[in-house]
Formats: sequence, structure tokens, C-alpha cells
Amino acid sequence: MLDLLWSGLVNIAQWKYLLPLFAGTFIGVVGGSLPGVTITMTVIVVLPFTYGLDPLAGLAAMTGVYVGGSTGGLIACCLLGIPGSPSSIATTFDGFPMARNGEPGRAIWLGVWASVWGGLLGALFLVFLTGPLAAIALEFGPWEYFSLFVLAMAMVAGLSESSLLKGLISTAIGLLITVVGHDPIGSVPRFTFGSAFIGGGFPFLPVLIGIFAFAQIMTDLEKLNSPRSDALQSLAGVRLERFSHLKVNLEIFKQPFLLAWSTIVGLIIGILPAIGGSASSVMAYDQAKKFSKTPDRFGKGHPEGIIASEASNNANVSGSLMTIMAFGIPGDAVTAVMLGAMTIHGIQSGPLFISQNPDIAYGIYAAYILAHPCMLLICLALMPLMLRVTSVRMAVLAPVVLVLCVVGAYALNNTMQSVYVLLLFGVIGYVLVKLGFPLAPLILGLILGDQIEINLVRAIMTDANPWLFLTRPISGLLLLAAATSVGLAIWQHWRHQTRMAEEEPDF
Amino acid sequence: MILLAVSLFLLVKSFQLPSLPIVPVGPGFYPAIVLSLMAAASALLVVQDLLKRRAPADAGDAPRRNYRLVVIAFAIVGAYVALLPLLGFRIATVLFVGALQAALDRPRTVRQWVVLATIALGTAVISYFIFERYLLVLLPRGAWTGF
Repeated sequence: MLDLLWSGLVNIAQWKYLLPLFAGTFIGVVGGSLPGVTITMTVIVVLPFTYGLDPLAGLAAMTGVYVGGSTGGLIACCLLGIPGSPSSIATTFDGFPMARNGEPGRAIWLGVWASVWGGLLGALFLVFLTGPLAAIALEFGPWEYFSLFVLAMAMVAGLSESSLLKGLISTAIGLLITVVGHDPIGSVPRFTFGSAFIGGGFPFLPVLIGIFAFAQIMTDLEKLNSPRSDALQSLAGVRLERFSHLKVNLEIFKQPFLLAWSTIVGLIIGILPAIGGSASSVMAYDQAKKFSKTPDRFGKGHPEGIIASEASNNANVSGSLMTIMAFGIPGDAVTAVMLGAMTIHGIQSGPLFISQNPDIAYGIYAAYILAHPCMLLICLALMPLMLRVTSVRMAVLAPVVLVLCVVGAYALNNTMQSVYVLLLFGVIGYVLVKLGFPLAPLILGLILGDQIEINLVRAIMTDANPWLFLTRPISGLLLLAAATSVGLAIWQHWRHQTRMAEEEPDF
Repeated sequence: MILLAVSLFLLVKSFQLPSLPIVPVGPGFYPAIVLSLMAAASALLVVQDLLKRRAPADAGDAPRRNYRLVVIAFAIVGAYVALLPLLGFRIATVLFVGALQAALDRPRTVRQWVVLATIALGTAVISYFIFERYLLVLLPRGAWTGF
């Protein structure tokens, strides 16, 4: 395994891979540092640039974006008090107060170094655990896969911030999009209403770009000229104070348990499908506060808060990559785009991915590992530039990002149809956001819809006994976990409502 | 309510899909499960909303939203998508980037207009060279302009 990893590292160190990796990491850091631009949006923008590259170079660029974006978000967190990307949300709690206390440099570099160490620790798990996970996945039959996908969707729907019902509906909308077009067994047209436009179904990536990038930008435009965006303009251009990188690192390594535990939290959240970096950073922050000897200092510029959040969100990337490589399930929206890119290059992700494509699999590990020193170099060399990046106006950013979205959709198969789909789902995504529907369950439904149907039908064709979904041990356990997840979400929602009712007396 | 109506309508359609002789479940089997889930969740949401409406509405101080800007942005994007196959990528993109920038933050000085035009032109030229020349992606040509 170490031989393969070494050859992967040697392979990635070639210019044809190193350059896309470095460029991807740079774009990731810049995209992450721009408030309102998520990592998903950045990876979507980079996607069309990877069409012409060889598969590993494209995936290396995306891995770079993912790692860079997970770190870049902390710049805006510390300087503006606004998360550059959702995965850095918990960094704001202590990063901004520390910067306001006159130590913006210490806040930023604590975050950058914690990201590097958290990410590299996560790499150990990525390299050594993905294979065993894939081996477990190989034992899965269609029943287990179906149940695993159901669990993934139940968890995501259950974690929806607004309401479980909206999460479930959002999941169902995602699943529904995948059934439009010809059915996978008999090729019978479904819900096409005789239209050639949707006869072949909706292409996955334009839908994803429309829902995530378009809807996100339109939501950001609503806030243009608001007090928040004015604050964003006026606070930019901060200068960092002088400090020692050695001291920052000693500060991190003085608390090995905090670093290790935050990494593990990030990794686990990353492995769980579609939960994402924001949850991992908040959970690691919460855990750090619970285990801390000085919990009262959290929220006032405490280094522990920054270390926990940043180590966790970078380790989250390794967890997400593990899930995509072992099970073929995207860990979050970014890996969903990566999964789409793999499909474009004719690579089938899943339990056989590592054994059938060892060069690409170990290339991804190597890209993930090398992305961290790349990110560090970029931050060291270009921090003054990145401090200015946070002040780029939305009026400039939005049209450029939208053009790249359109090109990304068009270049998929050189037809305007993908662009129309992009626009249609941009509108749908925006309406759903305004109605309070979470988009993560929709995306997961969209990604897993085909697989769920195929595995369901395959299971029934193998043995028509529906009880097998419950009586096969792993499948049964997964479905039980799914039911528990939904049950817990209902209970939590009910408890929240009850507390609210108790706190607000009826006038 | 709309979601409930759509899911019920499609549910009926899924039952009308033809079954296949060899396969134990037809093409409508899986969509019917998904649509039943969607219809049930939508119905519960409607009930939940009706119950909430009885409670006094929470006024709150929600942040001011600029929906007019969103409508304008959608209209400009729509025009861009419509004009793309007619004017071609290069011309349509210059117009789109310029128009959207002007709509989002109207330039007031000559210098601001120059910056706007430079960004519009730069976006079209750079993306054209990267995609068409370097990555060999054939971008849309205009049916009206041939450019």
C-alpha cells in the first residue's frame, strides 16, 4: 500500500498534475475567502476547465479546490466576521473576536496551520481506511445498498434545519428528477409528456449547477446594498501583525487531544453522506468547548475554538473522499460534483474503484496530501493579495461566476439544452430556498436516485420477498438506523417546539 | 399545496405506465413510492401550515431583501441564455456581463464605466481563449452573427 502511495505521490509530482493541483488549490483558497462563494460553487466553476484534462489531473484540481476552499473560508471569518464558506462557520466564533482584539494574523495562521495538521491527520485515515471500507462495501448486495442509500437520505433529511417534512419533500424532489426520462430496465419513457427536451431525462451536472450555484448567487443578490455588505466593503484591507509561525504551531501542538479529536469528528462527519463541512466545524467546536478546561473563554477569541473548527473542516474533506471512493456515495455537494466529473471521464466510483483504478485512487490520495503544503505555500506567499480578495464586489463576481456556470453546462455535450436545464433549475432552486426547503437532501436524492431504483429492482428481481430488506442483518440494521434517524429528528423537533411554547407565554 | 397537487397528478400518471412482462415490477413502481412519500409529506406540511396560521404571525425584524434586483438579474440571465445561440458566446457574454454589472451596481463616473467595460470584455475574451483555444470546447456561434 505504501509503495502505491509513494508511486501516487511521484506521479502527482509531475507538472501535468502538479499544475492543476496548485491552480485548483489557489482557486479554492480564493473562492473560499470570498463571502457568498461556497466551495461547491468554486468547484462547479472549475469543473469546465477539467473537461479537457486527463481524469487524474481534473480530479487533482478538484481535490485542490476542496482543500483550499476548506481553509480559505477562515480569512473572511477572522477579518469580517462572516464565514467565507459555510464550512468555516465555527471559526467566526473565535477568529473574529481574536482579530478584533488586535491579533488578526494570529487568528488566521492558527486556522491555516490547524487546517494543515487536521488535513494531514485525516490523510492517514483516508489512505489506510478507504480500502477496508471498500472491502466491506464489496460484501453488500442490492438490499444493503438500497438500505444504505435510504439511511443516507434519512440522515440528511433529518438534519434539515427548517423542518423534517421539508427535508423529506426536498429528498423526494431530488428522487423525482431522476425518474424523468427512460426507465433503466425497460426503457419506458416516464413523465416526459411527449417532450423531446426532457425525453432523455435531466442531465445531472446542469441541474446541480443550477440548484447550487445559480440559486446561491441569486440569494446573495438579495442582500446587496444591505448593512452587511456595506460592512464587508469597509472592513477589508486589514494588515496582519508580526508573529511567529513556530509559536502558532507550538500553540496547536500543546493540545494534541484537541487536534486529534477535532480531526476525528471532522472525519466521521465527512464519512456520513451529505452532511458537510459546516456541521463538522460546528460539532468539533461544540466538542472542544465541552472538553475544554476554559469553556468560558470560547467566543471571546480563544485559540481552541479556531483549532477545533479548522482541523475538523479539513479532516472532513478526507472523510468525504473516503465515502465517494469506497461506496460511490458523495460525502457532500463538492464530492457530488467530483462524482459527476468522474462519470464524464468514464470512471465508475464504488467498492471496485480502488482495485480497478489504483493509479487514480492513489493519485487522489497523493493529491489530497500534496494539496496541504500547496495551500500553505499559497497562503504564505499570497496572504496580502487574499486579504484584498475579500473585498471583491458581488457586482463583479456574480456575472463572471454565472458565465462560468453557463459554459460549464454547455461544454458538457455542446448543446444549449444543458443551459436551458441549468436556468430552469436555477429558478426552481431559488424558489425552493425562498420557501425554506433545504437543498442538500435534494442533491443527495438527485445523485442517489438512479442507484436506489436499480438496487431496489435488482433486489426484487433476485428474490421477490420484500422482508429480505429487514431480515438480512446489515440491511436490517441500516434501515433501523434510518428509522431511528428520522425518529430522533421528529423527537428533537417536538422537544424544540415544546420548549419554545414553555418559554413564550400565551398572551 | 402545489407540491401536493403535482405529486398526486404524477402519482396517477405513474399508475398508468405500462408494465413489462419479464420484470416483476413495472417502470411505475419506484416513481409511485417516491410520489407517495412526497404526497404524504406535502399533505402533512399543508396541515402544519394551516395549524400555524391560527397562531399569531411573528412580525420579527427580518433583514431587508432586494427582490427587485433578483427579478432583474433573472431577466438578464434569461435574455443571455436566449441570445447566446443567436449572437454567439463572445458578443452575448460581453453584453451580459456588462448589463448585469450595471444592474447590480450602476456606474456613476467615466472611470467606473471603463472598469465595467473592461471586465465585460475581459471575461468574454479570457473565457473564449481558455475554453475554445486551450481546452478545445466549441462555444456557441451566433445564428444571426456567425461569430
